[in-house]
Amino acid sequence: MLLAASLLGCTGRVERAGDAWLNRSQQDPALSGDGRLLAMISELRGRPTVLLRNENGSIQPVPQLRRHQPHSSPSLSWNGRYLALITQRGQRRLAIVLDRLNGRLHPLPLPGGRDPIRLSLAPDARKLALQVADQGQWRVEVLDLSEMLEPDRAAGAALTTPAIEESP
Amino acid sequence: MRHLFALMVLPFAIQGCAGPRPKPIPELNGLLRQSVSGRREPVLSQRWLVSLSQRGGRERVELIDLNSRRPVPLPGLNRADALPISVSLSADGERLAVVQQREERTELVLYRRNVGTLQRLPLEPPGVPRAVSLNGNGRRLAVQVSRGGRWDIDLIRLP
Repeated sequence: MLLAASLLGCTGRVERAGDAWLNRSQQDPALSGDGRLLAMISELRGRPTVLLRNENGSIQPVPQLRRHQPHSSPSLSWNGRYLALITQRGQRRLAIVLDRLNGRLHPLPLPGGRDPIRLSLAPDARKLALQVADQGQWRVEVLDLSEMLEPDRAAGAALTTPAIEESP
Repeated sequence: MRHLFALMVLPFAIQGCAGPRPKPIPELNGLLRQSVSGRREPVLSQRWLVSLSQRGGRERVELIDLNSRRPVPLPGLNRADALPISVSLSADGERLAVVQQREERTELVLYRRNVGTLQRLPLEPPGVPRAVSLNGNGRRLAVQVSRGGRWDIDLIRLP
């Protein structure tokens, strides 16, 4: 039983995202902008690892990210082309962006050697917000990624010509 | 002479290999530091940044319009008896999903900005919500829920 679905009164329909048959714990949900892809953190061999769940319920690992656990704070762009998350490199935490189209990893080291705590990728992948610790306080800083990554816009958002209307 | 040439060229070669780098946005980041003693749990959409900001020892949901670089009012959301834990927003910034603690229980709520309404979203089977994510049109929601000592993720379709 992959999905346990039930009605949630008048507020909407609810279903379980998890692979109950594997009896794994799932945390840190992040939906893509189009809602078709869900990134989450699950324990694989005891290590918090990012997994992706498709709209049809199938769960897939991310081969490019098999190492550098624990993973945390996943974030997806609009169509799920980019997956941003926090990984472990030695003693440091490192934010990275994976381009799922070509498998390329973009590390995002922070100035001053600070460690990222949480992150959020803008749906079009033009900006990234990071939560960092700074002089004992949580701070949020925004990075411009527009020279690094191609945009990942909603279908139709980049159209420059109007759609053809059907005649009645 | 050859060594001197190599030393002159090397920095440019390294810079070329590094490729384009992420750029901080000093004006915006300076603004995000002002008037708050802390800020966490950021979520970006194209035009909006929502986060939990701390002022005067109290944490609240704050939505910033990245075009005007100003916070926008959220009437009815930041109640005095509510402590936000996690927040997410739709791409147009109209819908905010919040996990908050209120009256000794943790609840999931949906805030619609255009009408200023706050709707509690019950979890079935019951559980304790922790982290939430909305999709772009704000009609799909993923929430991390504690049930029987383990974390599940529920997907909820919203009208």
